[in-house]
Amino acid sequence: MSAPSSSRSTGTPYVELHCHSAYSFLDGASLPEELADAARELGYGAFALTDHNGVWGSMEFAQAARGLGVRALHGAEVDLLDGRHLTLLVRDGTGWRNLCRLLTAAHAHDRDPGQPPPQVGLESVLRHAEGLVCLTGCATRGVHDEATAARLLEAFGPQSLRVELQRPFARHDRARNRGLERLARRLGVPCVATGNVHAHAHRRAELQDAFVALRHHLTLESSEPVRRGNHAHVLASPFAMSTRFDDHPRAVRETALLAETLEFDLLADLGYRYPGAEDEGALRQLTELCWARIDERYSPAGADRPEAESRLAQELRVIDSLGLAGFFVLHHDLLELAREVAVEVRGPDSARALLPPGRGRGSSVSSIVCYLTGLSHIDPVANDLLLGRFLNEELTALPDIDLDFPRDLREVLIPRVHERYGHKRSALVAAFPTFRSRGAIRELGKVLGLAPAEIERVARGADDFGAEVRRDVESALGARRRSPRWEWLIRLAAEARGLPRHSSQHPGGMIVSTRPLIDCCPVVPAAMAGRQIAQWDKDSCSDAGFLKIDLLGLGMLSAVERCVEEIARTRNERIDLSRIPFDDPATYAAIQEADTVGVFQIESRAQMASLRRTRPASLDDLTVQVAIIRPGPIQGGAVNPYIERRQRLRVDPSYQIPYEHPSLAPVLADTLGTIIFQDQVLEVAQAFAGFSPGDAEGLRRAMSRRRSEAAIARYQEQFVAGARRHAGADPATARRVWEMIEGFSGFGFPKAHSAAFGLLAYQSTWLRVHYAREFLCALLNEQPMGFYPPDGLVHEGQRRGLELLAPDVNSSEPECSISPRGVRIGLGYIGGIRQAEMEDLVRERRAGGPFTSLASLAARTALSRGALEKLAWSGACDELAQDRTATSGGERRAALWELGGAAAGHPVPGGAQLALALELPAPDGLRPLDRWERLVADYATTGLTVSDHALAILRPQLPGVITSADLEHVAHGAGVTVAGLVVARQRPATAKGVVFLLLEDERGTINLIVPPPVFERYRHPARVEPLLLARGRLERPPAGGGATNVIVSELRSLSGPARGAAAATVIELGERGGTPPGAGDTEEVGQRETALRAVAPAVQSFASGRRR
Amino acid sequence: MTRIPGPTGGPRGTAGPGRTAPRPLNRPRPARVRSHRSGAPQRVDGRVIEIVRESWLVEDRWWTDRPVRRRYWETVSAKGANVVVFRDLQTGRWFTQR
Repeated sequence: MSAPSSSRSTGTPYVELHCHSAYSFLDGASLPEELADAARELGYGAFALTDHNGVWGSMEFAQAARGLGVRALHGAEVDLLDGRHLTLLVRDGTGWRNLCRLLTAAHAHDRDPGQPPPQVGLESVLRHAEGLVCLTGCATRGVHDEATAARLLEAFGPQSLRVELQRPFARHDRARNRGLERLARRLGVPCVATGNVHAHAHRRAELQDAFVALRHHLTLESSEPVRRGNHAHVLASPFAMSTRFDDHPRAVRETALLAETLEFDLLADLGYRYPGAEDEGALRQLTELCWARIDERYSPAGADRPEAESRLAQELRVIDSLGLAGFFVLHHDLLELAREVAVEVRGPDSARALLPPGRGRGSSVSSIVCYLTGLSHIDPVANDLLLGRFLNEELTALPDIDLDFPRDLREVLIPRVHERYGHKRSALVAAFPTFRSRGAIRELGKVLGLAPAEIERVARGADDFGAEVRRDVESALGARRRSPRWEWLIRLAAEARGLPRHSSQHPGGMIVSTRPLIDCCPVVPAAMAGRQIAQWDKDSCSDAGFLKIDLLGLGMLSAVERCVEEIARTRNERIDLSRIPFDDPATYAAIQEADTVGVFQIESRAQMASLRRTRPASLDDLTVQVAIIRPGPIQGGAVNPYIERRQRLRVDPSYQIPYEHPSLAPVLADTLGTIIFQDQVLEVAQAFAGFSPGDAEGLRRAMSRRRSEAAIARYQEQFVAGARRHAGADPATARRVWEMIEGFSGFGFPKAHSAAFGLLAYQSTWLRVHYAREFLCALLNEQPMGFYPPDGLVHEGQRRGLELLAPDVNSSEPECSISPRGVRIGLGYIGGIRQAEMEDLVRERRAGGPFTSLASLAARTALSRGALEKLAWSGACDELAQDRTATSGGERRAALWELGGAAAGHPVPGGAQLALALELPAPDGLRPLDRWERLVADYATTGLTVSDHALAILRPQLPGVITSADLEHVAHGAGVTVAGLVVARQRPATAKGVVFLLLEDERGTINLIVPPPVFERYRHPARVEPLLLARGRLERPPAGGGATNVIVSELRSLSGPARGAAAATVIELGERGGTPPGAGDTEEVGQRETALRAVAPAVQSFASGRRR
Repeated sequence: MTRIPGPTGGPRGTAGPGRTAPRPLNRPRPARVRSHRSGAPQRVDGRVIEIVRESWLVEDRWWTDRPVRRRYWETVSAKGANVVVFRDLQTGRWFTQR
């Protein structure tokens, strides 16, 4: 045994054997790392993590503890069928295997109807006793009766059963512990003291109380009976624990004695092997496979052939020395499986059949073996890709292979992988959604008993990624909120931030194994039948050395496939995207003008701004372009130097790149002396500081996961010293280069990944330029994806001259479709209509011809009344309305009127009201919808509008407000007032509090830059209002390539127009936001305004995806 | 209706003149306590404490204006009486409570 188990500093022989982390999900308020760290601080030599029915945090705990010199013990607290608890601790490898099997069994019914809680039968525990130590469980729910304890003794034996004593400072502790001591004496086994720890520090104690209330769906007040009543569950020092148990000194000593016998080391004793690892013939098979294909990819007379051959031979040598041939063969098998699935999903004759089933991403793309086996489609020789990160001779962990698939294909592939490798041998990787501001405000606010409306108001205005709940509260409610409960919400939300909320499924990571996976890690059922999830997330799986395959669904791949198929169908052209011209001037012209809405990666606000400056002109340029707007290059200070150097080079081709040091020139030439790709971190460490490939990879890992500040500091020393020795660099230069690397921190793309993404960016732009209609249609059918909501895509298409047609029951398909006139919005965009209903409607229309009236629609289809009403309100039945007397705009109300008599199944007392084919009288005095009401109805039903833009309606009432098109004619520095619908709100962590808003009016988009003080003043409207009016100064930076921004000094919210009047529509907001008294003077205006706010299209909001 | 006098005041729902507010039972009363270094009471209002039977901790209502933090001691005096006292951990003051 390496470390003594008793505490180091105090000499008190106490080891904590019962502790819950936040991975007990709402019954533990600290991360495993925090517990390990606190344990070390308090002087523990060994420490056990025993979460409820799981080992979700065990790998994290083991990793953290090793770094701190604390010996990690593993176990779990399991629920028995009768609701009692047992604490199980792992003694050896057999014990771990038994624990994993028990925990898998405990969760087997998680997804059954009613979702029973995880639990396991006592018999099952008794059968899996080998290698485990059983403690009789906690104070309130432990096994305290002699009959059950005797059965445990029989199965576990006197060496492995202990009676557990706890002292939670509740009223009957001492009496209970005296009783338990008598029980132990009768059984002939020792007692052992435990702390039942739920928090690593006092500042988390209240959060634990709140979590318990949350778990029971109660408030803090009403949860008093289920809470612990005090904060004795906070981790205490070994000395404090021995004092707490001063009447049971032997139980304290027993903790250390027992810990000595728990020899299991999770980091060494897991015994995992991936399929193919032991296969002797794998190398031969791989070698044959590669050499057989080299002629297809590199012609024998080609210029690249000699390099390709030597590189292949070198890679095969490395693969052999690492014993990874089986791994590559396995991946090849997987891809062949994907190919089979692709043929099934796409059909053999479809235009999509020309496309590869999936694409490699990540560093695997840099391997020639991967290129030849079909895992990657980027030629590493032609693209000069470095193998380093993916494969090097000092490799310590298996490389990942990431494969991108169109979504439909991936859905079929995942269960197929389960089938191929066996349900016991494959599983999806877990993911743990963590508490962020919004969720924490909503959930903890409820627990604190705060007013629901106020909670919602604060939550909506909160910055999910910011850590400023105090400001969120103040900007939404004003500084008047000083009650202790709001103060506690602020504090609890800050403490909860980053803790796992529950376990979930990683989007595409799978692990496969030769031996049953449940011997290595517990497996729980996934929400989708036939799928299962391991209890570990991707980092834990990687630390465990599991072979991980990422099968990712990439929306743009699906969209591109749809587009190609649609082109084949409507134009009878077959397009092979791998053979389109890659130097198309029209495509590059669009890219350089940032005319890229909807295309892959280079469509965002930030990308557009940089495209005008960098003006990419080749696939290589695009490879850099997709990598540039990432936290790594931005924080590493690479973006502006790169863009400036690129602009200077364009003007003056003889411009010399100012490298920090000559040794960097070869590795940073492509990126003009800056670090943009992740692999450049490795290359710089090797070329400049003389790192070995293994050290360089270690550096990258240390940085990207931020697990250990100390480890990074060690690398820094090694780096500065190495730079002097290896490159003769002075310490100041070495530190500057280190800062470039440190700023980058690994949050960037590997070059190979960028190459794959850059190619897809080009391909999608090419489709957009040459097949605009089909491309837009495909995008609309693959939502949600990309930066813009469907409404924004539709408007942008209209500005490019595409015709967008509203949904119509006589013309629309379930999905959006190409019609002779343009793109017809599909019925699927109308919320609240089931897929089967839509299909039924279209089938009936095909069979029986168009619908002639609402009565015929209702009679011929099985549409529910609700669905019919949605259709009518969305305008899809306008053509069917009989009452044509109403002026334009009256159809929707007329259609709803007619539905009243036509729709069947209206329940009335005594039965159902049958539909009667009555001639209805014309409705009397139905006022037609005005343009604004129609807009609100469109948004409410479909989330988009193909008719008037909101600003087009408001424009006559906005004198002095100029359009986005007019901005072109405004001089730099001039004051302007603009208005629009908010498309995106962003507050990048890298922009020092500056907020970017993208507005859209009827002519185009407007970039708003909101400086921090202005944002503070208008925080709430800037965060939540859908329609904004902004005053500010126009800025057209000289190096911006013609891009304009408005630097905002004042923000106002806009409401809908007062009917029939040219009244002002600007809602004057109070400085701290909110709608002040007097806004919406008449009820009508108030309703019209809030109507849009409730249904406005989702926006890209603060880097957290789209939301309302 | 005749008002029934009693420790809890009038019967519920009989608002009106002369009604007294409900009076909490078992309200803590300040006590003079001398305690050991460990925190255990040795003398309570002059009574010598012989045995500590149990001690527990209540930390609750921290989210309100009036948080509760008390260390309770259930003891037996030298004369054989049960004595329950607690120390308010915010103020350091002692109280008896039955």
